[in-house]
Amino acid sequence: MASLATACRLSARLIARRGPADASIRGFTTSTRCLVTQNFTMPALSPTMTEGNIATWKVKEGESFAAGDVLLEIETDKATMDVEAQEDGMVAKIIAGDNSKAVQVGTRIAVIAEPGDDLSSLEIPAEEPAGQQQPQSSSKEETKSESSPEGKPASLPSDGKKHEQKYPLLPSVQHLVHLHNIDPETVSRIPPTGPQGRLLKGDVLAYLGTINAATPATITERFTKLSHLDLSNIKVAAAKVKAETKAEAAPTPAAAAEQPPTPEPDSEVVVPLSLAKVAETQRRIQDTLGVYLPLATFVARAAEFANDDLPPSARPPTADELFNQVLGLDKLQPRGTSRGFYLPQVDALPQSAIRAAAAAAPRSKSADLIDILAGTAKKTKPASAVTGLSQNDTNVVSVTVPKGDEKRARVFLERVKVILEQEPARLVL
Amino acid sequence: MLCNRLLPRSTARSAFRNPSSLPVVVAPTQLSRWRRTYASASEEKDLIIIGGGVAGYVAAIKAGQEGFKVACIEKRGTLGGTCLNVGCIPSKALLNNSHIYHMIKHDTKNRGIDVGDVSLNLQQFMKAKDTAVTGLTKGVEFLLKKNGVEYIKGTGSFINEHEIKVDLNEGGERTVKGKNILIATGSEATPFPGLEIDEKRVVTSTGALSLDKVPESLVVIGGGIIGLEMGSVWSRLGSKVTVVEFLDQIGGPGMDSEVSKAAQKLLKKQGINFKLSTKVVGGDTSGDKIKLDIDAAKGGKPETIEAETVLVAIGRRPYTQGLGLENIGMELDERGRVIIDSEYRTKFPHIRCVGDVTFGPMLAHKAEEEAVAVVEYMKKGYGHVNYGCIPSVMYTHPEVAWVGQSEQDLKSQNIPYRVGNFPFSANSRAKTNLDSDGFVKMLADPETDRLLGVHIIGPNAGEMIAEATLALEYGASTEDIARTCHAHPTLAEAFKEAAMATHSLPIHM
Repeated sequence: MASLATACRLSARLIARRGPADASIRGFTTSTRCLVTQNFTMPALSPTMTEGNIATWKVKEGESFAAGDVLLEIETDKATMDVEAQEDGMVAKIIAGDNSKAVQVGTRIAVIAEPGDDLSSLEIPAEEPAGQQQPQSSSKEETKSESSPEGKPASLPSDGKKHEQKYPLLPSVQHLVHLHNIDPETVSRIPPTGPQGRLLKGDVLAYLGTINAATPATITERFTKLSHLDLSNIKVAAAKVKAETKAEAAPTPAAAAEQPPTPEPDSEVVVPLSLAKVAETQRRIQDTLGVYLPLATFVARAAEFANDDLPPSARPPTADELFNQVLGLDKLQPRGTSRGFYLPQVDALPQSAIRAAAAAAPRSKSADLIDILAGTAKKTKPASAVTGLSQNDTNVVSVTVPKGDEKRARVFLERVKVILEQEPARLVL
Repeated sequence: MLCNRLLPRSTARSAFRNPSSLPVVVAPTQLSRWRRTYASASEEKDLIIIGGGVAGYVAAIKAGQEGFKVACIEKRGTLGGTCLNVGCIPSKALLNNSHIYHMIKHDTKNRGIDVGDVSLNLQQFMKAKDTAVTGLTKGVEFLLKKNGVEYIKGTGSFINEHEIKVDLNEGGERTVKGKNILIATGSEATPFPGLEIDEKRVVTSTGALSLDKVPESLVVIGGGIIGLEMGSVWSRLGSKVTVVEFLDQIGGPGMDSEVSKAAQKLLKKQGINFKLSTKVVGGDTSGDKIKLDIDAAKGGKPETIEAETVLVAIGRRPYTQGLGLENIGMELDERGRVIIDSEYRTKFPHIRCVGDVTFGPMLAHKAEEEAVAVVEYMKKGYGHVNYGCIPSVMYTHPEVAWVGQSEQDLKSQNIPYRVGNFPFSANSRAKTNLDSDGFVKMLADPETDRLLGVHIIGPNAGEMIAEATLALEYGASTEDIARTCHAHPTLAEAFKEAAMATHSLPIHM
């Protein structure tokens, strides 16, 4: 196998040697893009540029240049700009010389060869067809000769605007671009007719002149028409007019007033509480058992109980809960209750004083992230001091809860209240 | 906690549990009081949707996602509309299972599988369908909940342009008010003049989904997609099915004629009889069997055919009954469709309308697209549906699917086109599956090669049409499809080969 391949390669080389002079330099490649010379076209220096004047060429015919060298100066209506070489090369021929006026973007202004090429032996296919000095002429014939490096028609169906393709080119377009050696600059100047400015195969074919230039636009027009509902020929049915009893014509639009006032991020729920029964129980226990149970114990135990089976908090229900609701399973097993983590604060002070105190000594409102993640976050601050409470009434029990959870907190507090006010003895006996 | 050390938690709790009159009573009363105030506070909605079908529920979910306060009114009792309850979904359950039955009965021997006695348990057969339907409608209800949509079970009707009265299914009445209102009431089967539908012997697609026994003979009036699908189901289960169609082709006017002819041939092979260009003149349901008088449209002689069951599938019409449109002076067109503009607005800018009840093809996926677009119009001022790129599928066996223009469309408009055709009999996967009826047909512009339409008849055509729709949406040429790699061995290779056949030549033919 290997020897066969070698043989093929050898013979290929031999054939190449027998070819024209330039082939000896190029080797045996005959594919289009590797041809000796390349056309150098008038570049578009700005997205809106359609034509420009060539001021001076900085390199002469036959001179070599390196990437980055200034090749020529171009004047536009706005400025004079230098055009730099993208890669090493040699100017084989300058077609549009110094002081050429109004050269269209994309037209050939020079022919470039690779550095070190022998100019005299270079075959410049661009010069073979007659009349190439006028790049505007006879584009059709050119495109027909596929292997010609100037498969680029001079009369572009281009609107001169730039249509940068944001997405990868369609496979067919990519294929055509490579096949015809169209540079990205030129590709972006082909007017696209696809959805959202996409460049289609038809656009490139129209650009290349293989099909009627107007066809892609016509098809797109048709597609646009099809993409809409045809509402043009509506025949209104005879309206059965009823005696309209329009009570009031203008229903009041949503007023700002009906928007509930946005609650504070954390709100405090407060319930009045009488501690008379508790005090009495405390006294009785001390009398009979000789043990003093602090008020905090009562409160803590009441809270312990009241936290059971609270209505759901305002958190959005989980997918499982929702689905159970849909299936009606929540009715079989009353869902929606959950254990709370409230710790009530019992105060004798009026609420305004509490708020003032809270402002003075900032509460640790922001819960620890770890606590939140572990689900152990306390939604309230712990009952701190339960001192100075009056023994009969005018106490308040309160919890601070996040916005939206007031309902839940209120249920909790009502239970605490009921327990402490009615049968506190049961908490300890 | 201190108390925990003194007394275990359970002690304190159980102490209260036995005679627990106090806390347990307190909680529910508090709760219910709260709920009531909550409900009355949220009566005005950003969007009220009448109809919980595909258009309605999709719009509801989308609007919920966009942050609207939404209520969705549905009277059926289950969401999903015709599609989920008595349309696409149950029919596909029947089609799939009847196909399996038919295959086991007639097509296993040559595959080397010997099966003993095969019998049909129609009750279980229907139960399987119902399970699918229930699961899906519940799933939709779940989605509404998840997106914060209030689902009102009842019949909505306009009081005025902003208020809707709902007769609740559970009794009672309620009025909801909305800044925006969306009419998505869908469609119903068009009745056949002269034949009273009882959903037992003379049925629409709804009744045909739940016949309690396999009828010995079934006449289908209307050879459209619905008629052919339901005809297929009962034919596979053992009915002698005759399809009577007024037009000269089956599958409805959108189906490509070549595909339609192929479908007719294949369905005929399965045992369905066709009477095309034939008109049903009248019917008589008094006897044991239903007698239908039919008349060939062109030069035939009238005859009478008999059937145990008659399926009326002549089309669907917009459903606006009981909606109270007359109360607000809403305009309908001559076919009963709600008149809209290009942004789905009716003559009242805040009342919009999408789905079957308005213009365009009566397809669930079209309604779904519109539902999303209409919410986008409300929220963002721009939405879009590409009506030129809506696929159609007929789920017979083989399936038929198409998107874009048909050959007769292009011909009648004098639009030049190029055709590429690739048969499944040349596709390796179809061959190995012993299921190689049908072909892929592509239509493209002869100059630009841009795809104009794709028509598939064959196994899995309904899934394959997605690729065609994508290509059409992106303005692809058939060469683009052909240059895209397709896995081997798949049915989709036939799609690629058809593309190659359109712009150059197929490899495998």
